[in-house]
Parts: sequence; C-alpha cells; structure tokens
Amino acid sequence: MIRSPRWLLASAAVGAAGVGASWSFSPPERFWSNWLLWFLFFATLALGALFLVALEHLVGARWSVPLRRMPERLSSLLFLAAALGAAALLSLPVLYPWTRPEAHHDPFVVGKLHAWLNAPFFSARFVACVALWVLSYWVLVRGSLRQDATADPALTVRFRRFAPAFMAIYALSVTLLAFDWLSSLDPAWYSDIFGVYVFAGSFLSGLAATALGAVHLLERGRLGGVRRDHLYNLGGFLFAFTVFWSYIGFAQYMLMWYADLPEEVYWYADRTGSGWQFVVLGLAMVHFVIPFFALIPREKKGEHGPLKRIAALYLLAHLLDLYWLIFPSNFKSPVFSWPEASFAIFFVSVGFLWVRRSMAMGRDAPEGDPFLKEGLEFRL
Amino acid sequence: MTGGERMVTAETAAEPGGKAFAVLGLFETAEDILAAAQGLRDKGLGRLEAYTPYPVHGLDAALGHRRSPLAGMVLVMGFIGAVSAFLFQMWATGIDYPIVVGGKAPMAWQAFIPILFEVMVLFATFTAGLGMLLLMNRLPFYGHPILSSASIGKITRDRFALSLEAYGGAFDAREARAALEEAGATEVEILPAPEPSGPWSANYLLKGFFAVGAACLVAGYATYWAVKLFPVLPPMVHMEDQPKLDPQEPSALFRDGRGMQSPPSGTVARGFLPYSPAAPEEAAGLANPLPRTEPVLDRGQKAYRTHCAVCHGVLGDGVPTLTASYGAKPANLQARAIRELSDGKIYDAIVRGKNAMPSYAPHLSVEDRWSVVHYVRVLQRAQNATDEDLERGGRP
Amino acid sequence: MRADAAVPEALRTPPLTDGAVTPASLDEQVLRFPETKPPRKWFLALAFTASLMTVGLALIGYTICTGIGVWGNNRPVFWAFDIINFVFWVGIGHAGTLISAILFLFRKTWRNAIARFAEAMTIFAVMCAGLFPLIHVGRPWLAFWLFPYPNQRALWTNFRSPLLWDVFAVSTYFSVSLMFWYLGLIPDLASMRDRTQSPFRRKIYTVLSLGWRGAASHWSHYEKAYLLLAGLATGLVLSVHSVVSFDFAVSLVPGWHMTIFPPYFVAGAIFAGFAMVVIVLVVVRETMNLKNLITDFHLEVMNKVILGMSCLMAYSYLMEGFTAWYSMNPYLHHVFRQYVGGTYGWAGLLTICCNVLIPQILWFRRARRSYFWMIFVSVAVTVGMWFERFVIIVISLHQDYLPSSWHVYKPTLVDFGILFGSLGLFFTLVLVFARVLPVIATTEVKMVLPGAQPGRHGAP
Repeated sequence: MIRSPRWLLASAAVGAAGVGASWSFSPPERFWSNWLLWFLFFATLALGALFLVALEHLVGARWSVPLRRMPERLSSLLFLAAALGAAALLSLPVLYPWTRPEAHHDPFVVGKLHAWLNAPFFSARFVACVALWVLSYWVLVRGSLRQDATADPALTVRFRRFAPAFMAIYALSVTLLAFDWLSSLDPAWYSDIFGVYVFAGSFLSGLAATALGAVHLLERGRLGGVRRDHLYNLGGFLFAFTVFWSYIGFAQYMLMWYADLPEEVYWYADRTGSGWQFVVLGLAMVHFVIPFFALIPREKKGEHGPLKRIAALYLLAHLLDLYWLIFPSNFKSPVFSWPEASFAIFFVSVGFLWVRRSMAMGRDAPEGDPFLKEGLEFRL
Repeated sequence: MTGGERMVTAETAAEPGGKAFAVLGLFETAEDILAAAQGLRDKGLGRLEAYTPYPVHGLDAALGHRRSPLAGMVLVMGFIGAVSAFLFQMWATGIDYPIVVGGKAPMAWQAFIPILFEVMVLFATFTAGLGMLLLMNRLPFYGHPILSSASIGKITRDRFALSLEAYGGAFDAREARAALEEAGATEVEILPAPEPSGPWSANYLLKGFFAVGAACLVAGYATYWAVKLFPVLPPMVHMEDQPKLDPQEPSALFRDGRGMQSPPSGTVARGFLPYSPAAPEEAAGLANPLPRTEPVLDRGQKAYRTHCAVCHGVLGDGVPTLTASYGAKPANLQARAIRELSDGKIYDAIVRGKNAMPSYAPHLSVEDRWSVVHYVRVLQRAQNATDEDLERGGRP
Repeated sequence: MRADAAVPEALRTPPLTDGAVTPASLDEQVLRFPETKPPRKWFLALAFTASLMTVGLALIGYTICTGIGVWGNNRPVFWAFDIINFVFWVGIGHAGTLISAILFLFRKTWRNAIARFAEAMTIFAVMCAGLFPLIHVGRPWLAFWLFPYPNQRALWTNFRSPLLWDVFAVSTYFSVSLMFWYLGLIPDLASMRDRTQSPFRRKIYTVLSLGWRGAASHWSHYEKAYLLLAGLATGLVLSVHSVVSFDFAVSLVPGWHMTIFPPYFVAGAIFAGFAMVVIVLVVVRETMNLKNLITDFHLEVMNKVILGMSCLMAYSYLMEGFTAWYSMNPYLHHVFRQYVGGTYGWAGLLTICCNVLIPQILWFRRARRSYFWMIFVSVAVTVGMWFERFVIIVISLHQDYLPSSWHVYKPTLVDFGILFGSLGLFFTLVLVFARVLPVIATTEVKMVLPGAQPGRHGAP
C-alpha cells in the first residue's frame, strides 16, 4: 500500500471544494461540461493505454515488453472513468439537446430519437461498453499480473488470441464514446471519421502517459534494463501519431470546409468563431506544431527530458482538444475561470493519486513474460 | 585470373615514388573487419575505408566517420519546398490573378495544404536521394581503382575489405600492406591511382543540374513577363486565331463583299412587328390583346417595378422611388386624366415616350408593354376602389 | 538464441529463410535469372499479356482519335471506368510503398525479401493509373495544361481544385517511388556488374550501378537516405490516396461527401495492393524456385495484413452506413439504398461479400498457408476492390439530386478492352521485370541473414 503524499490529498481537497462550489453556484451546463471533459479524458487515456498493450500482443512486438507494465497500470483508470461516466449520465438532460422536447421539431434529429438517441438506449450502450472494458482489463491486465508469478507462456498465447477481439471492442467503444458523448452534443451534426479522430487522440494520450510514466520510473532507477532505444521507439510512435491525428483532424475539417454544407459546417462555425479561433490555434500549436518540430531530431525521441516534456504537453493538448470538442456546444465563447480550475485541480490530483496507487500493481516489468529478455536486448 | 597480372603493376606502383593509391585487404566476416578496423585506425597509415556487400552496423564508429548530414539537408529543403509551394499558390491565385472559384476566396489557405505537402515531400526526397548520391557519395564515378580490382567481385558478393588509402600526406604501401596482413587480411591487393572523372560523374552532373535549374528559373521568369507585357505574341494566340468570319470583316463569298449580310427587304423578325400608328391619336383605338390573367398581371408587375416604378412610384401615384433631385415631375398615373385614357394611349406613351420620358420600346417587348398597361389599370383600380368593389371582396 | 524451450509453438518466430542461405548462395540463386534464357512458359505468359496490352493500347488509340464518346460515359455518369481504373491502380501501388517504407520503419525484417517486387509493382501500377486521367481529358496532347506554367492568358491552374492536387500527388508519388526503387537497386546492380561474364551486360550494369563500390562511408549516407526516404514515403502514401479521395469527398454528391474517405481509401488501397502482391508472389515463388527465400511465413504475414485490412474495411462500411442513416439526409438515404438495391445493387453486395466476408476465411491458419485459399481470397479482394470503386463512382453519380437527369450507365466494349489492356500492361511489365532485374533485394536480405551483423546472431 502506497501512502499518498499530503500535498496531493490537500490539493484534491481544495479541488473538491471548488467542484462542490461549482455544483451549487455555476450553471449546470458548466458543471456538467467540465465533468464530461474529465470523464472522457480518463476514459480515452485508459483505453489508449490498453490499446497499446493489446497492439503489442497482436503484432508480437518484443521491444515494448519491458515497458508494458506502465500502460497496464494506466489502464486501471478505466474504473475511475466508468464511475465518472455513470455519474455523467445525469448530464443528459442538461447538455444534450436531443433529450429536450424541442428535438422533436428538428427534422435532422427527430428521425433518430426513437432508434438511437434516447436516454435508456444511450445508457445501455454505455453499460455494455463498460462491461466489455472490464472483461478486456480482466483478460489482458489481470492475466499479465498473474503471469508475474507463474511465468506461464500459455497466458501470452491467450493474450495474443484475445488481442483481435479487443481491437473490435476498442474500435466499437471509442466510436460509441465519440458519437454518443461528443458528437450528439450537436445532434444534427454527423461526421463518419469522428470515431477515428477520437481514436487518434485516445491513443496519443495513452502513449504520452506511458512515456511520461516510463521516464518517471527510469529516473528513479526502477525500470532496469530499459534504455534509450526503447524510449526512442515510444518517441517515434508519438511522432507518427501526431502526424496521424493532424491528418485526420485536417481531413475532416477540410472536407467540411470545402463542401460548406450548412448541416455540417455549423459545427466548425461554432468552434472557430467568437474566441474559439484562439483555442483552435492553440490546439494546432500544442497538438501538432510544437511536438512535431520537437520530435524531428533523432536524439530528442529517446532523451528523458525532452520526451517527458513533450509527453506532458500531449496530455495538456488532449485536454484542450476535448475542451474544444465539448464546450462550444453550450458556450458561445471560451470560458475559463474558477470552476474549470477547480475541476482541473481536483481531477489532476485524483488522477495522480490513482496512478500512484496503481504503481503497486505487480512488478515494474512483466517478469513472467517469455519475451522480456529479448525485449531488454532490443537495439535500434 | 587477372589478379596476377594486376599484381605486377601494383607492385611497381608500390615502389617509392610510384602511384599507389591504396592497399586493400579482404576479410571473411563482418566481425573480423570490425575488429581489424578498430586496430588499424589508431596506426594512422592512411585514410581507412571499408568496402562491404551490405551496411555493417558499428563500422561507422570503428572507422570514425562523421554522422551523415543528410537529415538536416532534407529538413531544410523540405521546409523550403513547403514554404515556396504555399507562397506560390497564394501569389498565383490571390495576387497575380485573383479569382473566386467554387465559392472559395482567392487566398483560401486550406486548399493549398495538399500541394504544399506534396511539394515538400518532393523536395525532401530528391534531396535525400540525389543528395546522397551526388553530393555525399560523389556518384556516379566510374574511375575508382577498386572497380577494376580483383576483389570487387568478392566485395559485392560476400567479402569485406579494408583499405588504407593515400589522401594527401605520405603513404607507404609496404607498411600498409604489412599492417593489413597483420590484422588478419586473407588477400591483399595494391591499387593504382584513380582515373580522372569522366563527363558522367557527379562533379559534372551536379554542375549540370544547377545550370538546368537556373536556366529553368530564368526561362520561367522571362516567359512570365513576356506573356504579361506582350500578350499577343504570335505563337501564343492560337485560341484567338480561328478560321471563322468576324462580323465586320470583308468576305469574298458575297457579292457585296461584306461578311455580315443585312436581311432581305420586307422581312420581319419574329416578335418584332413594326409599330404602325403614326400619331398618338391613331393609337387610341388599339385594344389590349392580352387577357387579364394572373400570369399576365405578374409579368406586368415585374416589368412595371423594374422600369416604371423608379419615376411613377410603386403605387403609380407619381412619387418616385428615387429622390427628388431628379428634375422632372413624373406623371401621377392615378390622376383622373390618365385613368380615363384608353389602353392604346398608354401603350403609345410607353412606345414613344412623353415629355421628359424617353421611349421604353427598347426595354420592353410588345407583351411586356401590354402587360404593364394591364398592371397600371390594376393599380388605378386598387387606389380608387368603390364601395361596390369592397363588397365584392376585390374580385373584378 | 530464441531456443527457450518454454516458448510455445504459437509464439515462435520462424526464421526468415528456409535452410542454409549464405550471401554467395543468395547471389547465385537470385542474380542468375537475368543472365539465363527464360523458360518457354515465360514466353507464353508474355505473349498472352502483351497481346492484351496491345489490344488495350489500340483501343486507347481509337479513343484518342475518335473522342471519349466511344466509352459508355453519359450524363450524369461523367466519371466511370476511367476513374475507377485510375483509383484501382493507384491503390494497387500503395502496397509496395507500405511494404518498402512503413514496414521498414517498423523494422519488420520479413519485408526485405518481398520489398523489391512490391516496389516494382508500385511503379508499374502508378504507370497504369496515370494513363487513365490522361486519356480521360480527351485531348492528351494538351495535358501540359495541368501544370502551372506562364501562358498567354496569364492565368494559373486552379490550385483550389482537388483534380490539380491529384496531378501533384500522383506525379510526386511516381517520382518518389521510382527513386526509392532505384536506390534499392543500385547495390544489386553492382553485384550483377561484378558477376556477369558478358561484356555487353557488364557495360549496362556498370552504367546503371553508377560506380557503386560498397564503401562504408557510402553505406552510411545510403542508409540514412533510405531511412529518410522511408519516412517521407510513409507520409506520401497516406497523402496520395487521401488526395485521390478528395476528388470525391470535397464535392456535394451524396455518397461521395464522406469525411471518412481519406483513411478509408488508404486502407482500401493497402488491402487491394497486398492482395495483388500475394497473387504475384505466389506465382513468382513457384515458377522461380524461391521457396527458401519467400517462405510460408512471408505469405502468412501478408495474409494476416489482408485480414486486418478487411476488418478496417468492414469498420468503414459500417461507419458509412451508420452515418448515412444517422445524418437523416434523404439524399444519402437514397444513395445508400441504391448501394445494396436498385439497378446496381448486385455490385454493392458483391463488394461487401468480396471485401468483408470472404477474407474472414483467413482467420484459419490453414487458409493462410494454403495456395488455394490465399489465391481465392486475393482474387476476390482484387475484384471486390475494383467493384467498390464502381459502387462509389457509378452508383453515386447515376442517381443524383435531379431525378430528371437520372441515367443508367452501361460500359462499352472499349471500356472493358482498356481495363483488360491495363491489366495486360501491368503484367507485361511485371514479367519483364522478373527476368531483367533482381527480383529479390539481395543486399537487404544479406543484411538480415544469421550472422550478418557483428554482435547479433540472427534477425531481431
């Protein structure tokens, strides 16, 4: 059992007070927008981390074996996310226009209310996703922890068999997260690439958190045998997915900008006007330009300091991305003051507390994995 | 085996004052050459180079080669490509010939991203590929002595060679040979001086590339300004130069020598019946040929509002929609005198004009004019409705 | 090294070559083909493909002389076989770049044995692809109008048009692929130069190999350049098919304006390209006795990629269908009903069957290793991907916003002739390549043979 440091508990308490004040004093859509932001942040991050684990099993990668415990631990945030999401179901009447009677007068919305956009089905979809997450977590992460003790290679075979199934679960649940929780904030709007966009952000944030955690442990001498070659690969992945995220984001934007269809483009109009243009600009900077140029030099990808800073920047960028996706649906211009700050303080503290606790899960490296030795021998 | 014959010349080349360029030793495995390279490098017997069938990892470090600067070059050139592609598109579509296409502003930066990316990649890859070959490796170069050595066939297959090469300073082929043999070389060969580079070598090709590039730039710039300043240069006007007859051109085909023929006398074009009444009085008896139906009235309303309402007012009350700064006072069509005019007289006024009002015949077709007459009657009736009209609910 | 007895069979990575392969035996096996007289079967195959190609070229000549009215295109189906074939061939090309560049970046060393062939296929496929827009413009001798050059009207090409982006994307793609391929060939050409006995061949190889001498300092720049090219080609391969998809997706045509098109086109391209590579590889490996270099493992991994891509296609179809319904856009609803019903409904169903259902056989290890099943799946995928473009282009166009202009499209014999002619052209080039240049990148395979690198015994 890890003892939580006092200052973290204190900041969590301060944040909790702010969150409570926000519940009482700020308009409900503001409280719930913030809540939704943090729910989706933890959900996408944890799913991204679990995706990294499953991807390693799927392609039989060896270099990442010594690092695998990090994303496995991070994916335990799924339980926090599930709890936050269950509470966020209360936000449906506040944030989502399709729950209101006016939706029945909108020709672009009314047709889908019965079959898709209604609170019972929405909640059922969420519950089904959570069940599948728990199942995947149990197979992939719990199994890996069991392997620490038994060193049973049969478990690795099972992971590899399960990985394709997880890919399907992941694709489905990230798409549902995107369409249900984000896209339906504007129920008339649609974009079939939106799930892929959220996937890119999710995987990037999972990778970034993994890199951050790995460097953190390395600096404390806890990941013996991991060297810059491994970190270089993580950096390379971060670089590749920065480009991928920008590619998907730009493709979606350009297709809508070019066609200029009123039923689509209003979503971007809401998100690039009255102050939001500065948020977009900031997003482009922190999610693409800065990390892209920072990661170009070969040596930067494997160095502790730069990698740590860039990974932290990615987590910030992912938050900003979600902020930009969620808030413009209910706020004409960007809002940021004490409610947002308290939510940030509270959930960052809670996140850190959670991750610190999860650091006690198993050994620092999956020592029962038959490929650990080969993974440690990895050279560029 | 040509090796023996070559060895003779190589031996003479190795004499003091001879033209020995290098001494080459063959090794069996990659590990052998790596170990030998580390040992030989410290002896300083000449420039140490290795020749291998495929890249052997770790050899660069053993030979003390500096890191390839290609990545930096590629980054810079890719950046230049991206920026120049973007600026060129902005300039061409936004400044030089600004034009709105598909509802997109001339400087719609979003649309320039794909080409920006492609040109960036093009610049970067050519820098990587040609930069590696021409600039870094100085290839093509067919005069290198190793190409005519006995060992090259083994090197490109499966053997590894180390060579000590004379570059500048004193080079002792015998000493180099002894060192290589000591390091474990299985075969040792002495190479003569390289042949001078031919016209198809990197040195000339590079210059050629630069010359062609510069020529393209100059030619493009010159062409651009030439077509800007002299837009009808003979070779470039083939779209304007067509084998057809322009209206005012002479033609040998017709007897009067004109390209454009006037219609035969007495013919009347469709819809252009001449207006026969010579005086307004004669026109008084003309009856409106059009029925008073809704489409006709719509047409009349449209024509009236386009051409008449500016002066006579939307209601026909002589209050112009323009300001009073227009000097003449337009007729009040609601006045009793005009209400009592026959349709033919109003028609005549439209055709001939009245007082300051010019003829509107050029602007209104025959149907338009009669429709306007109907519409004027509607306006008059509407403004002078009787109780009876009200009882009938506005129906005629 | 990897002899941990504890590791179960399912987890072991098989060796990249069967039996003992040394650099010398590799050269002897692979580089001998260009120097020996091809067998009778090769000439027969060449005669067949070359006659197909000749028919195609003759029909292209007929089209150019008469005008594209000889095709079945009509109003509103302005784009039909020509653009379908263009997208199809560009797609086929993508597998080569994926294998040579992306797998290189991921350090998948199994790619080394098949990269050369896949890259060559890229170049030939892009050549076939480039043909179609060229003849579709109707006056190919004025094709230089596509490039921004100073002209007498003092106006520039329309940089805001996706068709112009295509010109840049495809021409860049072709030049980059060619450079990538040629750089890879240089060391092999040097090997051929040094082993050939014929002075005539030696001259040709000498010129082509640029005087390559395998110097360590050259290798270090070479490897750097190769790595950079791989990185750039990866971005390029994503962008090229995305730009091709922009041709459709920026428009307002229901069924074309889909935001998922860019990644979905890329996935489809890789899918179709891998299928084509499998078809060609199986033939090459059988007829040229390369079983020890292109092993069952290679084919199995290729088939796994095909399976994965098939799942991505399924996801894309699902998203397209779902979003079409979710949009509550009546025009989209109509077009999607046409995809699976209506005049061409069979094409839509065939697409789903070939691209989604049939490849699922590859979940079975035995199917992944059986010639019959892998060829069956690959041919199905090739057909299915061609029909997918047919579905996207023809079905979306033939019933657009204006019911009065709806029109059924019927291809003519000339359309079919040019399509099969392009297949003939492609396979002719492949056949010629197989006998003229080294079909396997010997240098790259030598690099990963056991014991090739000091301090490392075997492939990573």
